Amino acid sequence: MIRTLLQLLPAERRRMAAGHAALTVLGVALRAAGAVLLVPLVADLFGPDPGGAWPWLGLLAAVTAAGWAVDTTAARIGFDLGFALLDHGQHGIADRLTRVRLTWFTAEHTATARQAIATTGPDLVGLVIYLVTPVAGAVLLPVAVGLALLPICLPLGLAALAGVPVLLGAFWATRRIGRAAERTAEDANTALTERIVEFARTQPALRAARRAEPARGLVGAALAAQHGATVRLVLLQIPGQLLFGLASQAALVLLAGTTTALAVRGDLGVPEAIALIVVIARYLEAFAALGELTPGIETATTALRRIRAVRTAPTVSGERSKRPATAAGAPRIRLERVAFRYSDDGPRVLDGLDLTLDAGTTTAIVGPSGSGKSTVLALLAGLHEPTAGRVLVDGTDTAALGQDERGDLVSVVFQQPYLFDGSIRDNVLAGDPGAAEDRLGHAVALARVGEVTARLPDGERTAVGEAGTALSGGERQRVSIARALLKPAPILLVDEATSALDTENEAAVVQALADDTVARTRVIVAHRLGSIRHADRVVFLEDGRVVEDGTVDGLLAAGGRFADFWRQRQEATGWRVVTRQPAGDDS
Amino acid sequence: MAKRGFSGVVMRGYGARDHEVTVVGRESLAPHFVRLRLSSPTLFQDAIAVPTAWLRFWFPDPDGGESEHQRAYTISSADETIGEFTIDMVLHEPAGPASLWAKRAEPGWTIMATSLGSSKFDVPDEPPAGYLLIGDSASIPAINSILGVVPADVPIEVYLEQHDAADRLIPLTPHPRARTHWVPRQGPASLAAAIEARDWSDWYTWAGPESGSLKHLRTRLRDEFGFPKSELYAQAYWYYGRTFGKRRGTPEPEPEPAIAPEPAIAPEPAAAPEPAPAAPSGRAVRGAWRAQGAGRLLAPLRRTLILSGALQAVVTLVQLAPFVLLVELARQMLAGAARSTLWTLGGWALGLVGAGTLLGGALTLWLHAVDARFARDLRQRLLGKLARMPLGWFTIRGSGHVKQVVRDDTLALHYLVTHAVPDAVAAVVAPVAVLAYLFVVDWRIALALFLPVLVYVMTTAVMVVQSGARTSLASRWSERMNREAGAYLEGQPVIRVFGGAAASAFRARLDEYIGFLGDWQRPFTGKKTLMDLATRPATFLLLIAFLGTWLISSGAMDPVSLLPFLLLGTTFGARLLGIGYGLSGLRTGMLAARRIQTTLDESELQVHAGPARVAADAPGTVVFDRVGFAYRPGVPVIDGVSIVLRPGTLTALVGPSGSGKSTLAALLARFHDVGTGAIRVGGRDVRDLTADELYAQVGFVFQQTQLVHATVHDNIALAVPGAARERVEAAARAAHLHERILRLPHGYDTVLGPDAALSGGERQRLTIARAILADPTVLVLDEATAFADPESEYSVQQALNQLTAGRTVLVIAHRLHTITGADQIVVLDGGHVAEAGTHDELHAAGGRYRRLWDAGASRATAPEEATL
Repeated sequence: MIRTLLQLLPAERRRMAAGHAALTVLGVALRAAGAVLLVPLVADLFGPDPGGAWPWLGLLAAVTAAGWAVDTTAARIGFDLGFALLDHGQHGIADRLTRVRLTWFTAEHTATARQAIATTGPDLVGLVIYLVTPVAGAVLLPVAVGLALLPICLPLGLAALAGVPVLLGAFWATRRIGRAAERTAEDANTALTERIVEFARTQPALRAARRAEPARGLVGAALAAQHGATVRLVLLQIPGQLLFGLASQAALVLLAGTTTALAVRGDLGVPEAIALIVVIARYLEAFAALGELTPGIETATTALRRIRAVRTAPTVSGERSKRPATAAGAPRIRLERVAFRYSDDGPRVLDGLDLTLDAGTTTAIVGPSGSGKSTVLALLAGLHEPTAGRVLVDGTDTAALGQDERGDLVSVVFQQPYLFDGSIRDNVLAGDPGAAEDRLGHAVALARVGEVTARLPDGERTAVGEAGTALSGGERQRVSIARALLKPAPILLVDEATSALDTENEAAVVQALADDTVARTRVIVAHRLGSIRHADRVVFLEDGRVVEDGTVDGLLAAGGRFADFWRQRQEATGWRVVTRQPAGDDS
Repeated sequence: MAKRGFSGVVMRGYGARDHEVTVVGRESLAPHFVRLRLSSPTLFQDAIAVPTAWLRFWFPDPDGGESEHQRAYTISSADETIGEFTIDMVLHEPAGPASLWAKRAEPGWTIMATSLGSSKFDVPDEPPAGYLLIGDSASIPAINSILGVVPADVPIEVYLEQHDAADRLIPLTPHPRARTHWVPRQGPASLAAAIEARDWSDWYTWAGPESGSLKHLRTRLRDEFGFPKSELYAQAYWYYGRTFGKRRGTPEPEPEPAIAPEPAIAPEPAAAPEPAPAAPSGRAVRGAWRAQGAGRLLAPLRRTLILSGALQAVVTLVQLAPFVLLVELARQMLAGAARSTLWTLGGWALGLVGAGTLLGGALTLWLHAVDARFARDLRQRLLGKLARMPLGWFTIRGSGHVKQVVRDDTLALHYLVTHAVPDAVAAVVAPVAVLAYLFVVDWRIALALFLPVLVYVMTTAVMVVQSGARTSLASRWSERMNREAGAYLEGQPVIRVFGGAAASAFRARLDEYIGFLGDWQRPFTGKKTLMDLATRPATFLLLIAFLGTWLISSGAMDPVSLLPFLLLGTTFGARLLGIGYGLSGLRTGMLAARRIQTTLDESELQVHAGPARVAADAPGTVVFDRVGFAYRPGVPVIDGVSIVLRPGTLTALVGPSGSGKSTLAALLARFHDVGTGAIRVGGRDVRDLTADELYAQVGFVFQQTQLVHATVHDNIALAVPGAARERVEAAARAAHLHERILRLPHGYDTVLGPDAALSGGERQRLTIARAILADPTVLVLDEATAFADPESEYSVQQALNQLTAGRTVLVIAHRLHTITGADQIVVLDGGHVAEAGTHDELHAAGGRYRRLWDAGASRATAPEEATL
């Protein structure tokens, strides 16, 4: 955790962190000195001449004031460090995320990453001052008090020092057991409620099937059966949680007992013994403070764990280097024995795929859902890296290129056209920020974005809202096409939307791609006949393998899988709901 | 510096900053009501323009004196980016400082304004049943800002106290469901008396009237109508009988501006222009609020929780006992007691430690057992409830809400019962007991212990006031960053392909957020350090040691009396401040309890008990008989719709999104019950049928597929549990799914789950197979189902053909070309039937359908979001 923390600090602040640590130690030492000063002070107060305590009090005041001064300085540095952590840490994560492999973003990791950006900010600010400093203080203070006691009363000092690991151990164990118990309670609750959630989720189906009541009975019985087991599990965890409380109370009694015994034996004067008991109480106070910090420790550890998860996520290969794009003209692309899987233990989506796409051609990839079409596209776009095999662009292995160079090669029309919060114009310009006005106008015209902006009060300066939500799906699609066309990349990849676009939009998409004059090699994952029609070549994919490959007309004439697909798509477009005559069934 | 009196000093103490505001325009909204357009480049660094937010202005003394007069005014509109805003002011005769200034103010005039303390109005995610807004001309700007943000379907009752005939000319923000009542003032009680006596259950009140009226209002709203504290925001906007200048728009009584001694002018109540409305007749009903639900849910645990609190108090006291024994030990040692006495004390200490631990452990165990029983009963109740609620409840709420209530809230309740109550009790009892003990020992030092606490409390107060709206802004920021971070992650592929520009918006936002956190928190670092230093044990120790030395050396105290302070007093501050933390756990739990109770209170589908309502419809006929339905009272979604579905025919519902077609179809599937009219299936009102009777006849296939965690066989045979494999296979074949099922690891016996997942189209076909096997005579279908996934469209359509054959079908149509063969097409608009007929008839008629068709020829309507 400490290492994660230090990594989050910008390099120039690490020296400040060292200074902060030194001041913290000094502050603790002063507090310990204050505690031990009680011995002569209290002894005098209980002795025959209470007035003798005044000098000691003056010393105590001086030490306490010095402590304030040191801790104020430490706090100022601590806050500074906190703000540095916030600034550097948050930007670090945002940067890092652009280099993390896309396959890492499972639902769980995505949630973690989101929280790492969105919710850890305030925690980071207070991390040093509310957590590191107090925890360090709580751990160091008893040690310091123990050390200070050694010259005054050796046995007690030794006992106090010996108590430190015992009490810290008890604290650690209690916290661990407590966390485990919490997790058990949560798991038990999840186990007991998951079936109710499922019961609620499937209510329409259950009711339509007249099964709501029986299912309720079943779920109820299952819950009752599960209930006993989980309760036992939770109850077993409870005794361990009392460990720390018991240990610190026992320590109080034992240390006070030792002091009393020493006094009774005459090794200590009674006033000194009383004073020492007060010091013992102060020694134990530090541990209690540790207990109060527990919720803060939990929050901070969670925040740091999230940040660490992002920082240690696997990144894409290749440096961030920025060489000028070398590719000129449409390249020839080759997939060589490419294999791919999304996780190490997952199934192979592609296994030994060989595919060559000639320079300047347009290829349509077609196939049933789950055949690996989008995976091929993502590999071509450099968004994923092949598990085995190579992707060659004009003979160069893309794995040897830097991330930005790979990015320069391709332009993509995504299925989910993500737009960022800005104007329509800004979003299109993202394709080529330095584009001249005429090129921008050309791309906008090709994608028929003009029809969209003409309807809007602010035209192309209209803000698209967060993630483009102010525009309709079709409108977002057009903006994303304009963006892709504007980017002067030699490879254009299109992942056609699966959701039903309206016919107008559909035509716009097809036309825009057909009219694009830039020399590019194009690949389109296509669902619609209109888009496939324009392709020079069709590759029919099934289970990650190419099962048919040829021109549209050639494949249609061959009467294979693609011809079936074509016919079914044609029938599907003309489908109507009927109740009278069952439609001809061909299966 | 002009004299600002005591409140000026207080405000400076709070760190208020003055901003120079320039008048840029004025506009008269009513004879005595003026809107000033103001501009300040710096004001919105401090102020946040949210509904009902206000600013303090320092008006010059009308008599030309040194003093300035503070009045507060609501921001009626604002453009924070350019620093322009408006305030609305009432002009009085005779005029006080503010009125006088406002009367003369011209563009170019300047005035100082401060944003310190303000209010804000938020509509929660689940709005109350309605809003009761009460005020007068002074609070109209605030009421207007509320009217502007309340959703259009939430009813609002506005009660305004009238002091001047011209009050009625002040423009109010229009709201479709707001009703305004003007109440001429006859005395402080007249406004309260005018509030309609009715059941105000689940309404929220915002009141900003004159102080005297407010007192009466509060009494009536709380005692007569039963408004809980949490559902009533009340703030006096002025005081009757003081100067006019003061009287308008000082929304809070606390920092009193120094007023030059002006004669207190009590304005005559404006002559009532019309007979004063007597308090509307009707009996006041004490309402029931969702906000009070937590208490009802936990009622059975009340005694248990009280007992556990008492036991925890004992445990806490026992845990403090060793310290008291230590004091006794010291006393005995000083007295030179015998060794045996000391041993006895040690024995006692050990015994108490053991007893405390045992008792604490036993208490925790017992509470866990109690909680487990309670949670089990609660889950059974939830199950029962879920089985009887209208299906529409689930589709409106979504699975997230169900999860929140069923899983997260029950867990929160676990902590409430097992931990929160003991924690809270311990947090309160420990400092109180310590304090009592210390006061008994020596009240002088005990009193001094409050000194550091006072420093802490005052610093906190200053920070809270200075944070002002930033606190709520922070939570808004965090929600926003959560959304934006989600979008940033989702957009990663785009960002990688299109590079920096695509990510720059997010980066800019992140910088803004970091900047916001910095601006907010940096000024507090010094104060926070002060708070920490003031309450740390070392500070208390010094304080105690100083007073102790002083009192003992002057002979005013027995040295032994100092011991309790040295042992317990040093952590007194930490203990006292822990109270707030200890109580926070209770709040979370109570909110969860409230949500669960709200769910348990939801209305259930009732099976009509009376005589069956039978009509002489032909068997298999579905009749919509003047059906009306509304999600919220007064906002009909369906209104007077009558349709007859003859057996074996196809009826299509057509209309723009929001026309009510999905809702109407859902009514037949009884996702909700009709509000007026009736739906009959085979001559019987669907409300007379049990769910099983209804769904034996009516089936539905919507876009959302629902698979249960079971084998493929059981999923298909859901409605026919004992169905033989042959029948299940036949249904699967008809649904074009048989081949696919055979490719699953265990064929029909495969348990569906993450390892054996079906694609979207396959899931659709499975639900179709299920419907085929269930064989209902009437089928409700969402046509969008057929276009879910382009790769399997064809198969789904073929399966649907098998399903619809020979049934009475009601289809929600999104694309007109798919329903041209329907026996009747019903065109809905705004919940009414606009047209009905066959495709040819409607096409020829040239009405609404024709227009939809012609529009669709170039642009088919996109399927609306599934609202079912």
